[in-house]
Amino acid sequence: MKGLVFAIEEMAVHDGPGLRTTVFLKGCPLRCQWCHNPEGWEPRPQRVRNPNGCTGCGACRTECETACTGCGRCLSRCPRGLLRISGKWWDADALARRVLAAEPFLRDGGVTVSGGEPLMQPEFLCELLDRLRPLHRALETSAFCAPDAWREALKRVELVYIDLKLADPAAHRRYTGVSNEPILQNLAHLKTSGVPFIVRIPTIQNVNDDPANMQATCRLLSGSKNLRGVELLPYNPCAGAKYALLGKPYPYSFSRPTPSALETARSIFARANIPVLIR
Amino acid sequence: MNERIRRQLDFMNAREHRKMRRVLSEAEWTSLCEALQDPALPLIERATRRLERFLEMETPVLLADTDIQFLRTLTDFPDIYAPGELDEIRAHHFVHEHGKVCNLACDYETVLREGLEGRRARLLNGLDEATPEQKEYAGYVQRTIDAAERFADRYAALEEEHGQAAQAEALRRSIRTGAQTFAEALQLFRAVHFVLWASGAYHCTVGRFDQYMYPFYAADKAAGRLTDEDALSLIEDFFLSFNRDSDLYPSIMWGDDGQSLMLGGCRRDGTNAVNELTYMAIRASLALHQIDPKLNLRLTADTPDDLYELATELTRAGMGFPQYANDDVVIPGLTRLGYALEDARDYVTAACWEFIIPGTGMDIPNIGAVPLAEVARNTIMESLEGAKNFEELTEKWFENLKRRSKAEFDGIHDLFFEPAPFHSVLMANCMEQKRDISLGAKYNNFGFHGTGFSCAVDQMAVVKKWVYEDGTLSKARLLEALSTNFEFDRELQYQLRHDAPKLGRDDEAKIVAHQLIEMYAKSLEGLVNERGGLVRGGTGTAMYYLWHAEGLGATADGRSFGEALPANFSPSLFITDAGLFSVLSGFTLDNLSLLPNGGPFTLELHDTIFGAPDSIQKVAKMVRTYIRMGGHQLQLNAVNRETLRDAQLHPEKHGDLIVRVWGWSGHFVELEKAYQDQIIARAEFAQ
Repeated sequence: MKGLVFAIEEMAVHDGPGLRTTVFLKGCPLRCQWCHNPEGWEPRPQRVRNPNGCTGCGACRTECETACTGCGRCLSRCPRGLLRISGKWWDADALARRVLAAEPFLRDGGVTVSGGEPLMQPEFLCELLDRLRPLHRALETSAFCAPDAWREALKRVELVYIDLKLADPAAHRRYTGVSNEPILQNLAHLKTSGVPFIVRIPTIQNVNDDPANMQATCRLLSGSKNLRGVELLPYNPCAGAKYALLGKPYPYSFSRPTPSALETARSIFARANIPVLIR
Repeated sequence: MNERIRRQLDFMNAREHRKMRRVLSEAEWTSLCEALQDPALPLIERATRRLERFLEMETPVLLADTDIQFLRTLTDFPDIYAPGELDEIRAHHFVHEHGKVCNLACDYETVLREGLEGRRARLLNGLDEATPEQKEYAGYVQRTIDAAERFADRYAALEEEHGQAAQAEALRRSIRTGAQTFAEALQLFRAVHFVLWASGAYHCTVGRFDQYMYPFYAADKAAGRLTDEDALSLIEDFFLSFNRDSDLYPSIMWGDDGQSLMLGGCRRDGTNAVNELTYMAIRASLALHQIDPKLNLRLTADTPDDLYELATELTRAGMGFPQYANDDVVIPGLTRLGYALEDARDYVTAACWEFIIPGTGMDIPNIGAVPLAEVARNTIMESLEGAKNFEELTEKWFENLKRRSKAEFDGIHDLFFEPAPFHSVLMANCMEQKRDISLGAKYNNFGFHGTGFSCAVDQMAVVKKWVYEDGTLSKARLLEALSTNFEFDRELQYQLRHDAPKLGRDDEAKIVAHQLIEMYAKSLEGLVNERGGLVRGGTGTAMYYLWHAEGLGATADGRSFGEALPANFSPSLFITDAGLFSVLSGFTLDNLSLLPNGGPFTLELHDTIFGAPDSIQKVAKMVRTYIRMGGHQLQLNAVNRETLRDAQLHPEKHGDLIVRVWGWSGHFVELEKAYQDQIIARAEFAQ
């Protein structure tokens, strides 16, 4: 079956052990305000324009712009080659072959499937993971998905990176647009699944870098033998850099947490004997 | 780095050493021209005399904070040709570059062991039975040896004046009879290398430093005279000396001076050659962050992981070295062409990446270039219409390649080289045979570059797939678009650039690449030059990637008229959706040893790849996998596109930014804009 992919990154150094290829599936049910990769949002191909080098000549304007299907027929109009289609439909088999072609590199490493939200295409994801079985497989997810899909995916991976953004349900809804209830349910299952997992917390000043949120997150993780650690990802002020590709403004202004907030967060997890890495 | 080296580095970075230079007065220049450019004198007399006068007019200067003396003080010196004389020679001869012996690897192993008197003894041995010409030649050689020794003696005298009697004694003795300690060997190398540069030779390579220096290091260690800490400081000191005069050396741009140093690999007997000095050399380069010497690392199945990792740290430092070469591909390629196995195992790189043999090689590895991209284009323009299938087109392609290679070869005859008596002193067998190196040596092969390898492959791959196999592109549409530079068919150009098979991404292209390697190698077979040498094909480009792109019409890979070609053995500049593993896999072809002139696969790594805690191990593993898969040569550049752009706009802020250009590294802000643009375009891929 076919799935929508917006990037394949070879030599992804942050996504698991050893040399890895990361496949990014397109489409995400969350709208985190600090998201740095809005290309992953829409579950359809879309035209993007590199603003660097654009002279504003207007050659790219089409009547169908507002109802773009990503057919790509207009890409050649840009005299400077700044247009491309983000999102390509891949057959799971072909995609797996493409990844496995680099098998000599991936032997001690593996493959990571990320997004967007990979579990927004659960059947495709499972088929892809099945076909990648010779490799070490990791999944990077928000865990916002149906419990059945979650269980099926977990059967097919050797490592999970799960994002826990906010423990408080109201705040979660406010900043990401969705409830964290399914996420917490899936986390509960993950803790008993035996699949090693690493928690990633995008850490944003005055959003979730407070001790209360960190303590609540820490409590959520207690008692899980398969937890390998927590990674704090301090907010990067360049998060808005890719919005211009989609012709969108970046309406938010967040800040990187202070070193002392990061240190406090680290000590909270460290006290619970959870290894912490600050990226 | 210790305090002393730090002070010396600061001294050099402040360009203080340049204040000791002097420019010859007009009167001096005129009188030298009279003495050196007299057409009545044979060239060898003039070359000998020029070296004598050069060294006499040099002013010995003792630098503080260094054990490796010798500083060039004369900014410029007249050549030996009368005005117009070299042009006259060119009218009747093929003159390679400036007509000077260059780009060779000397037999430093022997020179350091036996000194110049050892060389002289070989020259004098059997001279009584030699021909009159040989006797006359020996006279010139002896004059250059005398001049070098006198020059060293002047340095020694100055050292004595400054109370450095031990150094003076060591210098006087070692230049004559060879070095006895590691420190002496480094100073002796510097002395003969200095004289070699003074003799007018250029692209004076450094060779297998960790091999020829090892006996001295090991003896010192065994005798308890040397600690590894002191050895490392000495190497740093020694490496700095390569940067003192490098702006005065003849080159196209500052940085292209050919001071390439080779490390690692196997010994002449095939055993692992990696030793303590291999590691120390990399550490020294890492500490100094200087353009010279340019480090190369030979890799074998025996290369330890920690050496890959140390080398990767040097890559991360962003200077574009080390450059890697794979013994398992290079050595079979050389033996296949007739190099003795022991010699092949001793290979080093010439100024850029071409493989040469120390002591016995007088190969000219950059004497010509086959415009692969143009040959592919011409084939398509002339023969696509009539060719019924891809096989027929391939036959035409091969014929054209043969014709082009032959034409390139036929243009090279009646070679002229200026006699190089001092260079001959440093080569193997020249003294014994009493024969100048300019006349040839054991190996006299020519090397051809091949420009636009991936462009040629991509052109043919799309024709094969879209025109012949899928039938989705008509011959007429393609030919029309190519002959009108895509003016009226931008859609096709877009598709060719983005969707057509590309080497480094698509298997279809890899099959064509395999074919091209075979045909290109075959097109050079049977060509024997006037010195009995053969022609070695390669996929490197040097500057030809710019020259051969200039007048080249639109190509079937979507490239417009005049648009750039990729440098060296590298993917198309249009390739997208291909990550590092894809391109690395795409460029490991199992028949690369058919092209023994080499060609570095050049890859830009965005510096964020070094942002993870275990990045060094990961990048090292990537390099190792590439080599194990059969990669030939690899140049890795850690770049940041934004930094490069900023450096182009604000050169004043980026004086220390060092990048790999084609076979060498240079200061980015000092490159011509066309080269800067190319490096920025390559960096886009890394993004």
